[in-house]
Amino acid sequence: MKISYRWLARHVDLSGTTAKDLAKELTLSTAEVEGVESFLPHLSDVTVGHVVHREKHPDADKLSLCRVDVGQGEPLQIVCGAPNVRAGLTVAVATAGTTLPGDFKIKKSKIRGVESNGMICSERELGLGVEHDGIWELPQGLTVGARLGAALGMEDWVIEIDNKSVTHRPDLWGHRGIAAEVAAILRRPLKPLDLTLPATGSGAPCAVHIESDACSRYLALRVEGARATRSPLWLKSLLLAVGQRPIDLLVDLSNFVMLDLGQPNHLFDARKIGPQGIVVRKARAGETLKTLDEVERKLEHSDLLICNGDEPVALAGIMGGEGSKVTDDTSHLVLEVAAFHAPTVRRTSARLGLRTDASARFEKTLDPELVPLAAAHLVRLLQAEQPEVKLGAPATDVGKWTSAARTIRLRGERVRTLLGANLDDAAITDILVRLGFGVTQDGDALAVRVPSIRGTKDITIEQDLVEEVGRIYRYGNIPEIPLAGILVPPPRDERRRLVRRIEDRLAGSARFHQQISYSFVPDTTVEKLGLLATPHVEVMNPITEGASRVRRSVVVSLLPLIEPNRRRAADVRLFELGKGYEPVEGGEPQERHEVALVLARPPRKAHARFDDTSLAELQGVVEDLVRSLGLEGCVWSRCEAAASWAHPGRATALRIGAQDTLVGEVAALEPGLARALGLTGEIESDVALARLSVDALLAATPRARRYSPLPQFPATRVDVALALPAERGAAEAKAALERCGKGLVAALELFDVFEGERIGAGRRSLAWHVTLSAPDRTLNESDVKKFLERVEREAAQLGGELRRE
Amino acid sequence: MTQDAASVRALLGEILAALSSAPESDDTRTLRERLERFVALSDDALTPAVLLEASAVPLGAMRIFPKEARGLVGSKANAIKQAAEAALAAEKEAALAKALEAERSGAGFDATMPPPRQACGSLHPITQVTRELEDLFTSMGWTILDGPEVETEHFNFDALNISPDHPARDTMDTFWVKTQPGAPRLVMRTHTSPVQVRAMRRLQPPFRAIVPGKVFRNEALDASHEHTFHQMEGLVVGKHVSVGHLIAAMKTLLRGIFGREIEIRLRPGYFPFVEPGFELDARCPFCTEGCSVCKRSTWIELLPCGMVHPNVLKSGGIDPEQWTGFAFGLGLSRLVMLRFGIDDVRHLLAGDVRFLEQF
Ligand SMILES: [Zn+2]
Repeated sequence: MKISYRWLARHVDLSGTTAKDLAKELTLSTAEVEGVESFLPHLSDVTVGHVVHREKHPDADKLSLCRVDVGQGEPLQIVCGAPNVRAGLTVAVATAGTTLPGDFKIKKSKIRGVESNGMICSERELGLGVEHDGIWELPQGLTVGARLGAALGMEDWVIEIDNKSVTHRPDLWGHRGIAAEVAAILRRPLKPLDLTLPATGSGAPCAVHIESDACSRYLALRVEGARATRSPLWLKSLLLAVGQRPIDLLVDLSNFVMLDLGQPNHLFDARKIGPQGIVVRKARAGETLKTLDEVERKLEHSDLLICNGDEPVALAGIMGGEGSKVTDDTSHLVLEVAAFHAPTVRRTSARLGLRTDASARFEKTLDPELVPLAAAHLVRLLQAEQPEVKLGAPATDVGKWTSAARTIRLRGERVRTLLGANLDDAAITDILVRLGFGVTQDGDALAVRVPSIRGTKDITIEQDLVEEVGRIYRYGNIPEIPLAGILVPPPRDERRRLVRRIEDRLAGSARFHQQISYSFVPDTTVEKLGLLATPHVEVMNPITEGASRVRRSVVVSLLPLIEPNRRRAADVRLFELGKGYEPVEGGEPQERHEVALVLARPPRKAHARFDDTSLAELQGVVEDLVRSLGLEGCVWSRCEAAASWAHPGRATALRIGAQDTLVGEVAALEPGLARALGLTGEIESDVALARLSVDALLAATPRARRYSPLPQFPATRVDVALALPAERGAAEAKAALERCGKGLVAALELFDVFEGERIGAGRRSLAWHVTLSAPDRTLNESDVKKFLERVEREAAQLGGELRRE
Repeated sequence: MTQDAASVRALLGEILAALSSAPESDDTRTLRERLERFVALSDDALTPAVLLEASAVPLGAMRIFPKEARGLVGSKANAIKQAAEAALAAEKEAALAKALEAERSGAGFDATMPPPRQACGSLHPITQVTRELEDLFTSMGWTILDGPEVETEHFNFDALNISPDHPARDTMDTFWVKTQPGAPRLVMRTHTSPVQVRAMRRLQPPFRAIVPGKVFRNEALDASHEHTFHQMEGLVVGKHVSVGHLIAAMKTLLRGIFGREIEIRLRPGYFPFVEPGFELDARCPFCTEGCSVCKRSTWIELLPCGMVHPNVLKSGGIDPEQWTGFAFGLGLSRLVMLRFGIDDVRHLLAGDVRFLEQF
């Protein structure tokens, strides 16, 4: 919102205070100021000139050759094309070197062979209007040679206020409201303004029927004998300063009143309002209205309409209708000033994408008591310009409004406690009175009378008044107070400790990069997973089509990242700690806290070691992670209900601990999905993924880790190759070896896998490094021999053999 | 060796002299000739090996010497042997020193050769900054809380004194979750503030808590706007907690973030869940006269904050007459960008390893 410095000065004495000062004061006490700019700064470069002499250009019929006195030395010779230029005029002269709006630089030039030393300007060329019917004829009596801006009293600065910072302050949406703040801050009085309605005739008033609660007050007033003439310069320049294009006196005054008091209003051509008068009602389905911007609007039942009888003539609080607008030949008007239900205006305005200065104000909940004041203001301003304007009939002022004025009890102690500032009751009272509140003593507290204009929304409780006091006192004057109290360490946060340990292990020794993804997953990915039919938490208004789903599992977020990153690097190692959501009908969704990992690298080489696969490596990473958390007893098994991203034949489930808690799954990427994700050709990849439940890990993680005593006696190592039927899993072989050890097996490490004719079809040989040790003695050859004999028997029972090369 | 050569010849001379008292025989002659050959050798020819040989000759032919001379000959021959061994040791040491010197010269080494790249992982920059702040606050006795990303309308809005007609509820800013008619309405939380009320219901005042986490706004994406970003909420509830406490806490926070005293200012700001509400500006830590970060104003708008609205305390089951509090909402994503000089917010969640591996 643009605020004009000169406009403010109509309401409060600003002597000694610059626009920059005001910006700072308002920032610290009232609202956020985005900037201060000089209004039409070139007006101080343009000079007041006097046309001393004018003759026809020797070589061009439509051009004039003028001699213009600009108050310095000899009059300048200037060629001018305007039809209205003539000797004796006072004009605006842009001399060589001046820059006009549109980066138009004035230079000395030759026009049809005649030297021209500048330009005599039109209002449009100076950025002051759209008319271009000739040069601007300035009022007589201006000092020749003076700077134009100063001579016309048009120098101004525009203070830009961030609208978002005043959404809660409907009173600040006009210059008088801002001026009231300035007056309070600067301790100066607000200049009086006569807002009483002038005497009216006794004709028939305009009938008004309010049929909807969305209109709490409606004032209609017949205004007769007005003409849509050009606005005076003071009005035009103020409107221009705040970014409004001047149109004609009637439209300009209507805007001026809105920007002055913050109260929108509307002028109808009285000829368009029939004898049934004005009806305020909700729209009917299928109704339409062509608004002033000449767009046909489709209406809905929630929209509020102003009607001439039954015919819609305006969209209440937003925009008038094309059919009832004031035209050049209008002389009788109906002035509307009303109070509309803020959410109704906001919803219609948002739905139609039609935001206007009026709707922006009505959305803020305006004070219904402003209605008659704005009407009076407009009439008085109009009569000042056109004294012949008459009010033929009394105003119709109807509705069921209530004043928002109220009295709030304010305890001085409450102010001091909340602000932490030592303000006595007298200082509090002083600030509130400056802001326009009435203050009286009420026992040991203050009774604060809140005027209606502050009471609609902003000031309703005691704490609101504390803010009023604080912001005028200035928060910068409040001393800092360290938080005191007995410092109790917060309870141990096990989840956060676990999360940090997981992050550190994965980003550290496991060498993974941590990713944080959007919670939304693209439909394209969900579709590749075949999960479009699976219920997801879904938003109604996604940022783009196909991005409405919230992930059920964090793994899904990593899938689209594999292909682009594999194009840039051979190895992709990413992990993410985050949340997935599963919808629950009729309630809050189930939240899942997960760790997801992806490991992608070029395809496995032909003669690579048996465990040189992404899957094996990722299992190793996961097992290491789990161990690092102090969890023992990892058990890997085939994952029966593999996730849709998992290779159905190469999916493993990880269980831990005595309870066999399922903590997650590690699997190769589903091969069809790998192709769908674009992992083909030169970036064909060996990809493994993992999903671990943080909740399960948290439940399983021991609070304290225990140490195992160091062995007292040296261990013996023996290598054992077991050839077993291929369907027997490694876990079975491992369990068999442990059984055979009878408690002596301290460690088992698989180091080779072999399949081939040598050991027979349908068999697989697993070779292990076995470490045997006893807590109470050094093992001898006979112990090893007995162990191997048991292994041999066990192998035979399992349908295989102990291989001896 | 010259010195030693002379003394060795002298020793040999004494042995020869002892030999002269022996009866002449072929053996005596042969021995003398052999000994004289050593004496005749040039200094250079008297290598330690030759000396060893020279010492061995009389020792091996001791029976030729007269009995009474044998002691003397033995000692002289041993003296030659010791000289030989000393020379040998010296020679060995010299060779070793030479070899060490050669090794130390580092010939063929190129100090500018790039070392092999050590693969490593990384923590996301958001994690890094979040941890710093968590550590700072926990060291001052604050608790860290967590809350759901899919939140109820109640906690996200109603409980925070955001009236049903507040513009923020409209689809412009909020992602609304599809729900069954009649079921409680859900949103992607638009701020971390809902955890304020969740915390009040769980914890007994007085307490201090922070809530880092992901939040969602339905905004068009550009270099400085994301629909998903990270925030950190702070909440203190206690007896007589005032704006003065808020100012002190915010200054401590900034000292923690920037490692030095940063000037701040509070100015009015409107948020329905605080009253009074503030915008907190920090003196630009990057300049003194205005720069692009502070848009030439020397102030950076850092965080919204304020005194907890009594209605919010009531939503949390806390009596606003007994307790007061303050809250703030720090833009973590923005702080991460400031900290690392990241110019485009979209990098943060894009998952490009070239970005992630920088941290
Ligand atoms: Zn700066």
